Amino acid sequence: MYQKTVTIVAPHGIHTRPAALLVKEAKAFTCDIMVECNGKQASAKSLFKLQTLGLYQGVSVTVFATGEQAQAAVDKIASLLITLS
Amino acid sequence: MSFNGIVVSAGIAFGKALTITTHMPPLDFKLLSSAQIKQQQQQLTHAIELLIKHLQHCQHHLCPECENFQLIDADIMLLEDEELQQQLHQHIAQFNVSAAVAIDRIFNQQAAELAALDDPYLANRSGDILCLAKRLISAIHGHLKWDLSTLTEDTILLADDLTPAEFAILPLKHITGIVLESGGLTSHTAILARAAGIPALLNYPFSKLSVKIKDGEQLVLDGMTGDLHIAPSATILAQLKQQQTQELQRRQALTAYKDLPSSTQDGHSITLLANVGNLSEISHVTDVGAKGIGLFRTEFLLMNAKALPDEQQQYKLYCDALQSLNGEVLSIRTFDIGADKEIPYLEQSHEDNPALGIRGIRYSLSHPDTFITQVKAVLRAANHGPIRLMFPMVNQIEELEHAMVFIEQAKAQLIEQEKGFGEVSLGIVVETPAAVFNLPSMLPLLDFVSIGTNDLTQYTLAADRTNPNLAKQFPVLSPAVIQLMSMTISHCKQAGVKVSLCGELGSDPRALGLLVGLGLDEISINPSNLLDVKAALVKGRYQDFIIHAQQVASLTRIEEIHAAIQQC
Repeated sequence: MYQKTVTIVAPHGIHTRPAALLVKEAKAFTCDIMVECNGKQASAKSLFKLQTLGLYQGVSVTVFATGEQAQAAVDKIASLLITLS
Repeated sequence: MSFNGIVVSAGIAFGKALTITTHMPPLDFKLLSSAQIKQQQQQLTHAIELLIKHLQHCQHHLCPECENFQLIDADIMLLEDEELQQQLHQHIAQFNVSAAVAIDRIFNQQAAELAALDDPYLANRSGDILCLAKRLISAIHGHLKWDLSTLTEDTILLADDLTPAEFAILPLKHITGIVLESGGLTSHTAILARAAGIPALLNYPFSKLSVKIKDGEQLVLDGMTGDLHIAPSATILAQLKQQQTQELQRRQALTAYKDLPSSTQDGHSITLLANVGNLSEISHVTDVGAKGIGLFRTEFLLMNAKALPDEQQQYKLYCDALQSLNGEVLSIRTFDIGADKEIPYLEQSHEDNPALGIRGIRYSLSHPDTFITQVKAVLRAANHGPIRLMFPMVNQIEELEHAMVFIEQAKAQLIEQEKGFGEVSLGIVVETPAAVFNLPSMLPLLDFVSIGTNDLTQYTLAADRTNPNLAKQFPVLSPAVIQLMSMTISHCKQAGVKVSLCGELGSDPRALGLLVGLGLDEISINPSNLLDVKAALVKGRYQDFIIHAQQVASLTRIEEIHAAIQQC
């Protein structure tokens, strides 16, 4: 398993639109990618679940993945979490 | 059969009836047999496919870069979400309930979870989820009528009410007329319909008609008389068609006035500007030969947004507006939030009497971040063209001074951030009697004044502008309101400050003589009425207008005033 922790900087957090972009990117990977925040976990490939995490400005988020290209996937999703707004 | 409502936009509209109702069929909670469960699961899958197709179809009307397109993308992604689909299927099977019940429960649960989030912006998304649930349940029942983007033929829309936000997403190309059960003459829906040039009948209880109007039935809305003809006979239809042709010809003839100078026969010039409530309307401004925008209602930019547009977004928007005006003036009214204009994502505490509450400049002064952001965007845009900035609902010099302090703060921030900006002309909208009386103290600080007749009428006569029962008895053209307009104009003349009018009254060609005669320098008009008003100006004489205005101002009865105006 590979993991990385980042902090959300986007003023409105990862709201619907950026979250949808993130899911799109996550779906490009075959491995399972999970996002953990505020003690809750969700698949990075499920917008429905991701929404409920509360990815708002200032919170710390851990991304982890196992399987094929786990490291690339985690790096990609983590970088999106800090750049999308 | 036909009976009268309140007409807001003249013209005759032909179209097929389409009734928009927000009622959902009640959920059926009865437990299902195992055979039915399979069937419900299939129906769910089918409804999801149907709705996705539908949303994709809606996207064809939008450019992929625009926010709306991406938000629809997000809806599609939610519907495609495997975890969601699994949950729904499981819920149907586990609890032996219909697909609609499962959707209702799962989406409500999701909405509750979102609503509980600490961040208000993210929490607000719960409303979107409930909305999507409604659409999906509609899809289960096989109708997606709420979405009008697929309309292909001329349609007359019937609804109990229509919010400004809903209006803004109507496919106006196919909406020939609007009939609402609620609304008054100067409600915002009325203003929007008039600006778009769409005949509309308000305060028209169509659901209580003895004959029920069926969807698809031929309707004719006669905006001249206020009649709604339901499935009219061939003779009446032909008559109305002929009237419509004549009306169109009249409008065609008006285009001859477009390039004429806007001055009277005896050479008195008046600047005619346009009222604008959204970006697409800006194209009409130059079409009708307006000398710029006299009222840019910025709060309409908030209505369909998911969040307050930030400084950069607003800056870009104001620049776009300036650009399409080819160097003519853009008069930006700061957000007039409050009263009948609620913005879902803004914190607006409940008020028993919002028209007398935190609205206009009062909202801005109590929300400095929002206000300064807007002012910064306006100042930056002023670097690219002539901009006037005006504040709504200012009563007192303290409010004006307070607003000016924020302008200085905005400038200081821009200097610190090394962002270029320009100077703006400063004005207020005079829309309360207090503002009229207090004007002399404020005029030294102002470059211009604009009279907002809709609210000035409401606050002078203590008559709610959205109440249809009051619209006829408490008109703008009443003695007290005319006196207040006259006072405002003479205060401005004495101080040498330019005075303009931006209310609905300016769009009525019959009132032109009075307004010019009272001494206004400028009138801001709905684009669809501008040439009518210009024709009245160009044909008249200033000396006659002055006499007419003096005579009207001396009248004490509403009916006398109306009779005098008709004769002008």
